Amino acid sequence: MLQRTNYLSSRYGVPDGHRIEAYLRDGGYEQAKRALGMPRKTLVDEVKAANLRGRGGAGFPMGVKWGFMPPEPKPGKPHYLVVNADEGEPGTFKDRTLMELDPHSTIEGCIIGAYGIGAHAAYVYVRDELHLSKARLWGAIEEARARGFLGPKPFGIDYTVEVYVHSGAGAYICGEETALLNSLEGKRGEPRMKPPFPAQAGAFGMPTTVNNLESIATLPTILKLGGEAFSKLSALHGMRDGGCRLFGVSGHVKTPGVFECAVGLTLRELVYDLGGGVAGGKLLAVIPGGSSTPILRHDELVDAPDPKAPLHPWHGQSVLDVPMGVDTFRGLGTMLGTCCAIVLSERACPVMAMHNLMRFYRHESCGQCTPCREGSGWLERTLDRIVGGAGTLEDLDRLHEIANNIMGNTICAFGEGTAMPALGFLRKFRREFEDFVRTHGASSPRNLAL
Amino acid sequence: MPSIKIDGRDVPFEPGDTVMRAAYRAGIEIPHYCWHPGLSSPANCRMCLVDILPPPGRPALRLDILEWSAEKNDYVVAQKSKLQPACYMQATDGMEVLSDTSDEVAKARAAIQELLLLNHPVDCPICDQAGECKLQDYWLLHQRSKKRMCDEPVHKPKAVVFGPTIVYDAERCVMCTRCIRVCDEVAQNPVLDMRERGNRNEITVAPGRQLDHGYSLMTEHVCPVGALTSSHFRFKARVWFLRSARTVCQECATGCNAHLDYDPRDNLPYRYRPRDNEAVNKYWMCDEGMLSYGRATAGRMLGAHVGGDDASIDEALHAAKDHLRGCDPARVAIVLSAQHSQEDNFALLTLGREYLGVTDVFVARRPDGLGDKVLRHVDKNPNGAGVKALVGGDGPRPLAELVAAAQKGRYSHVLALGHDVDVDVAALKSAFAGLTGSIVIASHDGPLTAALRVALPACAWTEAAGTYVNAQGMAQPTEQVLRPRGDARPGWELVARLGRALGFAIPWKTPKELARAMRGAAGSEPTHATAGAVAAEVAP
Repeated sequence: MLQRTNYLSSRYGVPDGHRIEAYLRDGGYEQAKRALGMPRKTLVDEVKAANLRGRGGAGFPMGVKWGFMPPEPKPGKPHYLVVNADEGEPGTFKDRTLMELDPHSTIEGCIIGAYGIGAHAAYVYVRDELHLSKARLWGAIEEARARGFLGPKPFGIDYTVEVYVHSGAGAYICGEETALLNSLEGKRGEPRMKPPFPAQAGAFGMPTTVNNLESIATLPTILKLGGEAFSKLSALHGMRDGGCRLFGVSGHVKTPGVFECAVGLTLRELVYDLGGGVAGGKLLAVIPGGSSTPILRHDELVDAPDPKAPLHPWHGQSVLDVPMGVDTFRGLGTMLGTCCAIVLSERACPVMAMHNLMRFYRHESCGQCTPCREGSGWLERTLDRIVGGAGTLEDLDRLHEIANNIMGNTICAFGEGTAMPALGFLRKFRREFEDFVRTHGASSPRNLAL
Repeated sequence: MPSIKIDGRDVPFEPGDTVMRAAYRAGIEIPHYCWHPGLSSPANCRMCLVDILPPPGRPALRLDILEWSAEKNDYVVAQKSKLQPACYMQATDGMEVLSDTSDEVAKARAAIQELLLLNHPVDCPICDQAGECKLQDYWLLHQRSKKRMCDEPVHKPKAVVFGPTIVYDAERCVMCTRCIRVCDEVAQNPVLDMRERGNRNEITVAPGRQLDHGYSLMTEHVCPVGALTSSHFRFKARVWFLRSARTVCQECATGCNAHLDYDPRDNLPYRYRPRDNEAVNKYWMCDEGMLSYGRATAGRMLGAHVGGDDASIDEALHAAKDHLRGCDPARVAIVLSAQHSQEDNFALLTLGREYLGVTDVFVARRPDGLGDKVLRHVDKNPNGAGVKALVGGDGPRPLAELVAAAQKGRYSHVLALGHDVDVDVAALKSAFAGLTGSIVIASHDGPLTAALRVALPACAWTEAAGTYVNAQGMAQPTEQVLRPRGDARPGWELVARLGRALGFAIPWKTPKELARAMRGAAGSEPTHATAGAVAAEVAP
């Protein structure tokens, strides 16, 4: 159900919308001030009621995550809020718009979030390449500090909050929360083994909550509307997947961009209504939420004959008509991820698309553990040969085997993030791959960009 | 004691143990590269993946994978277990672990092994690790398939000199990070790290530095493959020609347990390897110790000499007998050696005190050196504590006192063991020049052998079984490794022969008899009365 909302993106396109004056005009920082006056439990309950599923890709309920933190910081064990803005997932560019066009919602969210988890310091870890984002966030911090919203006594309330922007150093893996923490500490950006989880020992060994930047920037809206009212914006409120969020669409669409809608939007609406339809030919497939989420073909149907299955209401319908939710898309065998879809037109070659992605994963594997380090490289080289026209069916049959051996055997989710899309492409496009191999590439449009 | 089940076998564990450590204690091998009992667990090699069954009533975590069905001519969705690294999973009471009995685990091991060898140069014929390489061992145990990747492997730097002791080959490296962790956690000197990423990463030395801390050879020791090689052992031997004997490092009073690897064909030592002993050196040795195997051959005194001239052992014993005949026990000094074994020292002390009636006992020792908080002791002698215990009372007196007294003509004879001294060498020489008789039994050339008239060649620690008491007071046995070089004989045997030449009925002729005598003497200090009585009998 397409329902545009205007909470997170209301200052997008407003002249000087990133300045504090514009933010204050819209009632900015009132919710942070209110939050600092609330009992902590009330705040956490409000966020739990909002059913905000983490916007970074895993879709974990934000309020529940906060609940993992110790109720109060122990002496010598300060809590930290870390905001993940290492937006590096291919096809994803939503957090960037928030940082560039409305950085104050993030800063206000940091105040609320820090209070919610008992932290006095929030680190916003921003992807290295996003220079304007970093500048805008620092600018917003300075403006907020000048008004007394940050510092030892924000709004005159005795609860210190400081926000810092920390630049990444150009590694995709640092979007993984524990690799991010290592990088934040100045170490090599490699994921940590869990346990301990960040809520037990995160940044600098202290209890830490890592939240996606959009999740944090949504906090003022949650408090403004009230948790339950926020959740009810969503068509999937009943599946505890609440509120509104930023949807991105890119690739072969006429009007790529970021659109704020209530949760419950379908892929068809995202591609055709918001994205303006497929540019160049018909729709071939959609990668629903960043490159790590398995691809969906345009002609796939929902197979959920069991009346108890969560997807049963959509049984027999096109996957494009299923509301985009964390649990609905998991049911489809893919993931909602970052909710930023990449659209492939039928004039593009799925073999080359997979090759492109696998090159990315080989390049970005941190190399810490064996299956990902070596497996991603083997996938890439096998695809190199196939795309070069020298591949064999034996090579093709090796691909899923390599991906199977990465799956589940790695330290972090990067392994699955490589294996799942690989298996997705193979399963959905086996015929196209076989034709490509048999004809040495002659069957392919040999296009990726139109 | 709580226990887990590994492949149906009960394995007890101590609280805090991982599955791997519990298995290790029980002597069960779970294959691994990155795990080491003395280091932290990064769980990065993934070779130790095992299947941990869910608690009863709970569903197992399954992952969707794809398999090709020839029948359907399409992929079918299959499932596999979510395996866990044994080196990181905390053991909990009643936990059931499938290791060697799970097909999925076997598949995962074969897959990891194949991935590790994917870009490996497989240059075993010229690799020093061949024969003791985990890649080789695990290929046989867990993979046994041919290489399937036909592309050019990734090329990386080779023969990178990390420092004075270590050479690195990045292509052979499996990125287990053991060497990094040895520097961080054992040597407390974080000089190694990883650079680059993905399958192009490699181990690197911190900019502007060398791998030159006191435990650099431990990086090679823990390297499970041929990536790190020691510049001392590189291209020197094939390990399958080497044999190992258990010994104790002689470089300081810590008494690190070691294996000495030697080639029986040329009777030469090739390297030390630390021998695990939780109570002493855990799994480690310092570089000084590691390189001290060379002392088995270097600087040795291989033949007897009398007054600077080469002599046979019999000639030297004859000369020694002549020297000692008619000496006044009150003017004889016994010098024990903190570098020789308990056996040698016991023999000399017994000859001196019980048969000759000597009361003045001194000790020769290497001077103190640098110590650290890891293993290296400031006392650079392997058996100082043993000598002290043998002598009893206040222990032996320092050699400096003997030199001072000899200068004044207090002594006519010195009967010594050992070669190194902790006194001024010139003073030693001038003080001993006026002695009527002086005899030394030593394994190496040194200031003592140069200063005394009659010198008898003793076996080094490698050539005779012996016991050494470390600074903690632990008596540690060593095995005979090599055949004695030159004319060398065990020190205690030379003492016994000298005693017999002097007309004493020394009862020990074999190591066993000596050991029995030592056990008998332990705890019953000889009194001066009995010693005097023996001396009276000897006196002509």
